[in-house]
Amino acid sequence: MRKLGMVIDLSRCIGCRSCAVVCKIHNSLPPGTWWQRVETVGAKEHMIPTGEYPDLSEVFLPIPCQHCENAPCVKVCPVGATWQREDGLVLVDYERCIGCRYCMTACPYGIRQFNWQSSDDSFKEGFKNAGFEENWFKDKEYRYGYPLDHRTKDGRLVFTLKRPRGIVEKCTFCVQYVDQGLLPACVRGCPGNARTFGDLNDPNSEISKIIRGRDVFKLLSDLGTEPKVFYIPPSRKEGKGGISYGKKL
Amino acid sequence: MEKNYNNIVKGLAVVAVLGLVAYIYQLYSGLIVTNMRNPFSWGLYVATWAFYVGTAAGGLVVSSAIYLFNARQLKPIARVAALTAFLFAMGAMIILLPDIGRPDRLYNMIIHPNFKSMLPWDFIVLSSYAVVSAIYTYTLMYPDIAAKGVKLPFYGVVGRKELTEEGLARLREESDKKAKRLAPIALPLAILIHTVTAWVLATQFARSWWYGGVLAPTFISAALATGPAIVILASLVVFGYKDKMEGTYTLLAKVSAVSAIIMLFMYYNDFMIRFWWHNGRDFDALKLVFTKYIFLHAVEVIFILLSAYIFIKYPKDPKKLVQGSLSVIVGVFAHRFLLLPPAYNIIPLRVPVIMHNETVEWSYPIAVGQIRGNLNNPEKVFVAYWSYVPSIVEIAVTAGVMAFLVLAFLKLVQILPVKEVEQ
Repeated sequence: MRKLGMVIDLSRCIGCRSCAVVCKIHNSLPPGTWWQRVETVGAKEHMIPTGEYPDLSEVFLPIPCQHCENAPCVKVCPVGATWQREDGLVLVDYERCIGCRYCMTACPYGIRQFNWQSSDDSFKEGFKNAGFEENWFKDKEYRYGYPLDHRTKDGRLVFTLKRPRGIVEKCTFCVQYVDQGLLPACVRGCPGNARTFGDLNDPNSEISKIIRGRDVFKLLSDLGTEPKVFYIPPSRKEGKGGISYGKKL
Repeated sequence: MEKNYNNIVKGLAVVAVLGLVAYIYQLYSGLIVTNMRNPFSWGLYVATWAFYVGTAAGGLVVSSAIYLFNARQLKPIARVAALTAFLFAMGAMIILLPDIGRPDRLYNMIIHPNFKSMLPWDFIVLSSYAVVSAIYTYTLMYPDIAAKGVKLPFYGVVGRKELTEEGLARLREESDKKAKRLAPIALPLAILIHTVTAWVLATQFARSWWYGGVLAPTFISAALATGPAIVILASLVVFGYKDKMEGTYTLLAKVSAVSAIIMLFMYYNDFMIRFWWHNGRDFDALKLVFTKYIFLHAVEVIFILLSAYIFIKYPKDPKKLVQGSLSVIVGVFAHRFLLLPPAYNIIPLRVPVIMHNETVEWSYPIAVGQIRGNLNNPEKVFVAYWSYVPSIVEIAVTAGVMAFLVLAFLKLVQILPVKEVEQ
């Protein structure tokens, strides 16, 4: 059986947040909702280095859903709307979720997002607050993103363009693409190729080869959630941006 | 007096209707009308739920104590106590409705329950408690219902039976016997509803403010502090203060006072352990209580201590009894509300960062879930702290449920034979 996972090389992450934007577009996220976050570790604002001159550091930490093997959100869901598929993806059934938000309390990574208002209202408000006079798409039924509903083999709705109100949603590793043999949008959209996605159980897969013999870490591993997103720690860059401006110049 | 009573009923009805209107408005617009957002996903409704679960317990603890611990002083108020238990158990379930994003899908709790989650268990325990307390109330009242009947509005008298003196005496004996048999079921259930409610929160490793073994015992002691206070208030409404019932009230007041002190002891015992290590998420949650939420914390401690003082010093003064009961209710409600902010505002995902030669825990911000501000003055999309204050809608709905419970109590007291016939 496949065990899908992801490895993110922090040395390659340039903090451009392309993954977050690509994710938002492909998955039709409502305004204010982000399945993917990238922040500068230790900074109040993104892209501001931390520390004191000259000992500054700027490490970007992208966080998708960790698709934990021992996922607290799966355990707490009172109706089994969140479950783990055999291939390891933790998914939300948009038709079963009752919106109790217990999973948001349980998730230590702050991944889960609730639809506080209807899709129409949140887009209308988003447009208005962003300063667009029309306040609305020209075609009110239009939504960006993958255009079709996606159901798992047992018929559970895990992706739909117009998200129902009052339910919890989260990163699915782009289940609608993965089921068609494609890579998640963030993996394809990363300009630094920082992300690799694949089968952790297959020793010949790219991800297995990358992880093998490398120092990888998982977030909050002491909680025992066993995330399937692995991080390669950033390597220390000598000089300015890793470029040596020595006497050679 | 009669006029006063009518005004109170009218006032409560207005609050209840406003609450209903607010709930309909919330159903129409979505939970966006609350001040909860992604980083702070449970609010006033959940705090009130925990509070109602606590107040519900008092009722059956008092009624079952009559038979289990032979506390005969409590006999005259057994019916009132059992009735409050039923009402608050219902209230606890009602107040969760507005917190649910999709109440129309609640049937999934029955057809797809996940028993690894504590919530279905809580649902089972709470509804069994409501059923048992209803049966208990009925059992206690049955002889009088049979003797006089119940006068339903628009319907007339029902349940009346032709009884001889002997028959009535036999019924009373039977009711006493049945109640004796129900008591050993009722008491463990009363303890279980808090325990399971506490477990819903205490099992969450991500939330250091809740996680651990001390939450359930604290919940029970808080329940045993507010439960008797609610019963005192309810019986004062029904019976007024009679010298004959002095022993009853004194006992209730004592139970409340002792439980309040035990609760504060357990609370501060937990604080000590968090404080001593002086570092990490557990300590930071405590620090939040003593910095940003110091006012709320002061309210809970002062009011709970005040009630214990009043109950111990003046257990025989009806006015003081009311003051003590109200003060423990305010204190424990503040205590319940304080369950939330330190739990959510200590973001579980933190990364240690070295700044000024010191390690600082940096919290990874969470998307709010709504676009706030405008193009020229955008507000933060990702936040690591959410200062939650309940919105008007949340307050209106919560107040509405409270008013509804009190109204239901007043009405049921009129219809049902809650007063024991003097023998």
